[in-house]
Amino acid sequence: MAALIRSLRAVRSLRGLGSVVSQTCPAPQYNGLRRGFHRAALLRLADDPKSDPTVPPPSHHEHYRAQESREGSSSSSSSSSSTGQASASDPGTQHEDPQLNTSYQDQSGEQAEDYETEEQLQTRILTAALEFVPQHGWTVDAIAAGAETVGLSAASAGMFDNGAGDLVLHFVGQCNVQLADILAEQHNKVQLGQAEKKKTAEFLRDAVETRLRMLIPYIDTWPQAMSVLLLPHNIPDSLKHLSTLVDDIWYYAGDRSTDLNWYTRRAALTGIYNTTELVMVQDSSPDFEDTWAFLDNRIQDVVNMANTAKQVQLTGEAVVQGLMGAAVTLKNISGVNQRR
Amino acid sequence: MQRATHCVFRHGSVRAFYPLSAGNVPAAINRGNSSLLCRKYTVLPPPRDKEEKAMLDSMLRVDHAGEYGANRIYAGQMAVLGRTQSGPLIQNMWDQEKMHLQKFNEILGENRVRPTLLLPLWNVAGFLLGASTALLGKEGAMACTVAVEESISEHYNSQIRALMEADPERYTELLQLIKEFRDDELEHHDTGLEHDAESVPGYLLLKTVIQAGCKAAIYMSQRI
Repeated sequence: MAALIRSLRAVRSLRGLGSVVSQTCPAPQYNGLRRGFHRAALLRLADDPKSDPTVPPPSHHEHYRAQESREGSSSSSSSSSSTGQASASDPGTQHEDPQLNTSYQDQSGEQAEDYETEEQLQTRILTAALEFVPQHGWTVDAIAAGAETVGLSAASAGMFDNGAGDLVLHFVGQCNVQLADILAEQHNKVQLGQAEKKKTAEFLRDAVETRLRMLIPYIDTWPQAMSVLLLPHNIPDSLKHLSTLVDDIWYYAGDRSTDLNWYTRRAALTGIYNTTELVMVQDSSPDFEDTWAFLDNRIQDVVNMANTAKQVQLTGEAVVQGLMGAAVTLKNISGVNQRR
Repeated sequence: MQRATHCVFRHGSVRAFYPLSAGNVPAAINRGNSSLLCRKYTVLPPPRDKEEKAMLDSMLRVDHAGEYGANRIYAGQMAVLGRTQSGPLIQNMWDQEKMHLQKFNEILGENRVRPTLLLPLWNVAGFLLGASTALLGKEGAMACTVAVEESISEHYNSQIRALMEADPERYTELLQLIKEFRDDELEHHDTGLEHDAESVPGYLLLKTVIQAGCKAAIYMSQRI
């Protein structure tokens, strides 16, 4: 496929040299060519499900081809599989042009059969790249290896201008989504009566443990990932992921507070999660027992602090009531309250 | 897309999970069952993208902060004037505000809206405002009520306008809720006027200052 494109490009550039004078208005030809190719790619994919896995998705290739296309009245016939299609595609496909670029609003892939947005492609590459992380670390090399698995050239790792940051953020986001799904399922079971509702401390402990266990396959390279997340340009995104994680955990733990507690609870859980992650990274005990023991202790600390705070508040209220009572008694004794 | 699925799921399932306490509704204020205060189903549509969620979040956050502040203002007024003749009147208005606050608490909990970080500030500021205007006497308290309720009604009106411009059908229930609350606030405003709010010395100055404060509070609560 790549060879075909290259040869066509060569043929066309030769033709373009020869027919510079006879160029017509570029825009419709350009569009026609893009649409023609798009149709061709779709038909190819639709007719040939077991096609050559190196066929790149249309968006990627169209971009490439659109940049290369030189006008000549004969150029539309150069794409062999689209001869019949170019003319037929002109009237009907005007609406496809705006969708050629990355669409951030619709990732459901419902635009056209087998049409993939750039974001979906990037997600696929990054997911494939995760396999190579133990070998290459959290670097662009892992992304390049992943791209090759998916069928693109290693150079398409250049698509990710944040490089390793993109890979780590993708992984973190993926883990958070998985955790949210697990928590939602548990929540569902509790509602259906198939499982017991856990106490808050136990729930938090289990949720944090589940989430941290997702790091185990990558634990050796995780310090590198953490340092990538701490780079200044990655900090806003990593904070957003962290806050989503903590909010999800508290929501499923049953927190519906609408006052300052909302903030204090999330801050406490963030602290617990971060410190436990740090402990886990340098833990060498079997199955990370020390980490889970540390987690237990931290959660216990927070619970104790919350109880103490409640006690202090109750005591304070009782003291105030006592003082008010004493004041009223004094007023009665001194006769200030009476009317003579 | 995952988020949207989650939201739909939550709206369907969170009802049974969250024990909605209806016990605090004071018996004195009795609304017909058609009022949104009594119906316990979700008021917001599941958000379809991040921008909509951010817009709705900020609207609900500031409304919640507003009702919280109004609650504290009436509490301050009651602390000073609670045992005078205007006590029952202020208590009535306070009870209605309590119901509004409870409704917003429910909505915030269901829809995972972050409350504003400035709540402790509004707690203290509201109480001080209520108490200090009540020290000017009943007229002072009424003037404060008039100023605050006018600000809040204007704010609700601009929210109604924004929602109507965006998509009236999608937000029908939220619009109905806000309209109901706005009508209550206008009622308080009129009550304040009836009870000699304008006869406090320095009425215009007081009103301008309080309304400027309310505008600043609304601006900050939308963002922080």
